[in-house]
Amino acid sequence: MNDSLSIPHLIMNASGVVQVVMLILLIGSLLSWVVIFQRSFVMRRARKAHRVFEERFWSGVDLNELYREIPPEQETQGAEHVFRAGFREFNRLLAKTRSPQAILEGVQRSMRVAWSREEDRLTLHLVFLATVASASPYIGLFGTVWGIMGSFQSLSMAQQATLATVAPWIAEALIATAMGLFAAIPAVIFYNRLSAESARLLGKYEDFAEEFHSILHRNLQGRTDPGAE
Amino acid sequence: MARHDRRVGYGLPLVLAIALHLAILVASMMHFPQREIEPPSATIVQATLVSTEATTDQAQRAKQARAQALARQAEEAAKASAEQEATRQAAEATRQAAEAERQRQADAETREEARRAAEEEAARRAKQAEAEAERRRQAEAEAQRQRQIEAEAQRQAEAQRQRQAEAEAQRQAEAEAQRQAEAEAQRQAEAEAQRQAEAEAQRQRQAEAEAQRQAEAEARRASEAANSFITLVRRAVEQAWVIPPNVPAGASAEISVKLGPSGELLAATLSQSSGDSAFDRSAIQAVESAAPFAELRQLPISVQRDYRQFNLRFRPGDIR
Repeated sequence: MNDSLSIPHLIMNASGVVQVVMLILLIGSLLSWVVIFQRSFVMRRARKAHRVFEERFWSGVDLNELYREIPPEQETQGAEHVFRAGFREFNRLLAKTRSPQAILEGVQRSMRVAWSREEDRLTLHLVFLATVASASPYIGLFGTVWGIMGSFQSLSMAQQATLATVAPWIAEALIATAMGLFAAIPAVIFYNRLSAESARLLGKYEDFAEEFHSILHRNLQGRTDPGAE
Repeated sequence: MARHDRRVGYGLPLVLAIALHLAILVASMMHFPQREIEPPSATIVQATLVSTEATTDQAQRAKQARAQALARQAEEAAKASAEQEATRQAAEATRQAAEAERQRQADAETREEARRAAEEEAARRAKQAEAEAERRRQAEAEAQRQRQIEAEAQRQAEAQRQRQAEAEAQRQAEAEAQRQAEAEAQRQAEAEAQRQAEAEAQRQRQAEAEAQRQAEAEARRASEAANSFITLVRRAVEQAWVIPPNVPAGASAEISVKLGPSGELLAATLSQSSGDSAFDRSAIQAVESAAPFAELRQLPISVQRDYRQFNLRFRPGDIR
């Protein structure tokens, strides 16, 4: 009795559909944990990179120098990416037009594009986490309902309806729900946590873009005013 | 700025995730076997009682039904205790049988021991007697020689005859000794043969006892299985029996049940009517709705045939 109710035994003896459901849930749980770990690393790294870049940016270094520090073919991330996109656009437009309005608009547009790429990068796979979080309880519930259907079918053939004939089936069916919850709970928690963190980082990038925009604006004012005079 | 680690790969997260799942799996495996220990028999008894009550409630005679349920419960308890008693007695009997067997073996051993000791004793005594005879013979020979010396001093001629006689006596003694040795050998061979025969008989006796014990055990197992089968059938029929209202007290019907080889119902006929046709019909319907009795296949094959046909006596309150 004791042996036949142990969890591995129940899983091995489950019907085919329930086993498939359990397999799906196991894979979902595994993948969601991969995403959780990977995203956590990405977030931690992005946070650190942002802190380092901001310190460098506000240390009073010349912006041209900062721009030239990195070869242009190298890909950058985060606020640095925003900064480089904006500054490149600024330099290109500065050579072509004298209208500060047009320059600032172009810079803003390119920075928005860079920001939205960053958003894409940070929130990659978080949708998968949300899917696992919301779908796996239903999948587990499906497995349980299917298992209990099986148990009642077998019950109709039995002579005596005792608890002992029903209990293994129901225990086996309930494992599917347990596995669904097992996959869903970490996914929900980490989805919230990771999406909040990415939103905070994106907010920081946006603030930085605004600040950079204002710096360029000030720069243009200083440059055009003497030209107008 | 450290730029080489900008891309975060999926290898390490994958390893971490798999390790986490394995750890959880191992933890659950180590934890669970110590927990779930439930007495299964108690649940069975409870379930039966509940369903019995439900059935009798349907019979729309709450009072009588409750009384019946109580009676049935008591009966079941009594049956259970009787079964327990029976199993305990059976265990006691087997233990006693084993004890007796051991006792018998010990007795046989001691008997064997005594017999061997007696044989050894006899052999030793025979050897002693032989030695005694030898000594006596030697003494005799000595006396004779003395006498011969005397005779030689007296008669030289007689001495020759005497010597011849002596030689004769010696030859006779030798022949005697040989004969004795032969007799001894024969006796020993006989004793050996007898011992072997006894050992053989002992072994045979043991084998017989073993066979008998096995046969007994087989019969007991068969009868136990048969008892449990009858109990199961009775319980199934009881559960399926809807007693009609207004049954005369003391009504009793006997149904003869015929089963197929796999436990399916071939025929349920009324072998003794109770006089109340509704009661008879309800009894037949109970048997029909309780069929098939698939437990028949779990019986030993030798017994199956005996239980393909049996009678059930229906009385309000119990089935015999």
